[in-house]
Amino acid sequence: MITLAEVQAFCTVARAATTPHALMQAVEEITAAMGFRYFALVHHVDLLTPGSTIVRLVSYPRDWVDAFEEGRLYAADPIHRASHTTTVGFAWSKVATLITMNPRDHAVLAAARTAGLGDGFTIPAHIPGEANGSCSFAMRDGEELEEAQLPLVQLVGSFAFEAARKIARSGIAPIPPAPQLTDRQTECVALVARGKTDWEIARILGVGVETVTQHLKDARDRYGVTKRTMLAIRALFDGAISFTDILRR
Amino acid sequence: MVVVRYGIEQALSDRVFRSMFEERKRVFVDLLGWDIPVLAGRYEIDQFDDDEATYIVVTDGTGEHCGSARLLRTDRPHILDTIFPYLCDDIPPAGPRVREITRFCLARRLKARERLATRNRLVSALVEHALCNGITTYTGVAEWAWFQQILAFGWQCLPLGMPSSADRGLSAMRIDISPATPGLLRQSGIFAPIHLMDLDRTAA
Repeated sequence: MITLAEVQAFCTVARAATTPHALMQAVEEITAAMGFRYFALVHHVDLLTPGSTIVRLVSYPRDWVDAFEEGRLYAADPIHRASHTTTVGFAWSKVATLITMNPRDHAVLAAARTAGLGDGFTIPAHIPGEANGSCSFAMRDGEELEEAQLPLVQLVGSFAFEAARKIARSGIAPIPPAPQLTDRQTECVALVARGKTDWEIARILGVGVETVTQHLKDARDRYGVTKRTMLAIRALFDGAISFTDILRR
Repeated sequence: MVVVRYGIEQALSDRVFRSMFEERKRVFVDLLGWDIPVLAGRYEIDQFDDDEATYIVVTDGTGEHCGSARLLRTDRPHILDTIFPYLCDDIPPAGPRVREITRFCLARRLKARERLATRNRLVSALVEHALCNGITTYTGVAEWAWFQQILAFGWQCLPLGMPSSADRGLSAMRIDISPATPGLLRQSGIFAPIHLMDLDRTAA
């Protein structure tokens, strides 16, 4: 069982780390102090097509890392999927309470056990405008999680992920502001996201179809995309529209 | 614009601050369901809204309230030490250079994009206010999802205790402010240059 003082010390060290290597060492130490064997700090994207600000620090059994990457499990992994449904940490043994498990999910978890992973604890990291990520800590097969310290593990996971984000973005220029849409464009995009055609949007807003078409063309230009689906997704991703704009009423 | 007011009495004499108390009712009572007092069925005002409270309000182009926060002194009773002491392992940071951020509130009418922009301006205003007034540390309490976002702003933030297992993971934190803080917020795309309007000092 670790103490809050150890967690705070870790947060300070992790913050000060300027290289992935330094952070890796700090996370390795706290992982061992918490009684875990393995950890993975990752954005949930396909790492075979990497981007510049993607977080990835992993100390998992080699067999499992290979199987994971070859199987391209980033989106399909049941643990990652479950982490998209909650903001608080969860034990892997409880994953079935968060998502509906299909046969492939069971196969993935069985393969992880075969590779030597036991139960684990995953802390989701959801930042608006960024790919989902998570920080996981795992035991060896047959070892048990120490329930009482899980809130502290949750803190460690969040701070570790934030430290990794900071390092990942330090090499690049500050995040440029997202494209700005006018109020009318935003309304049109929100309606596109709700599946409306230009004609329907024109009726809803009480304007001409050409006007709607023009608003959406201008909005696509601002995002530099050519398809309305992509426009809606980009606007949703960076917060120009929200799920409540789409799903309410 | 960003406006600062000191003390409840002054705040209540000003339209934009009255609409802040109305918005606080809409957010904390109507939306989040907090069990806190409401005055005249309109204003959310509690025992910490007194002469020592500081209010920071972000307004839109027409002077309407978009977002606000309340700062409490920590050398007298405040929320962390009176209501949530169990969220801190130790005695929470306190003193003349420490303020507690409370009632961080974004107007419900705002669209997603405006919410983000207002949030960023309010966070930037809090940092500017601290730097102008010799405040070196903010403390605060947040539910877990919000705590994660606060952490992701990129400033220097530390947990003060274990997240509560109830109350949607309520957590206490400290945020240290220094001249380096604006740069940290800029790096994560949060910092918005703002002009702090200090009404008391303008009037004087």
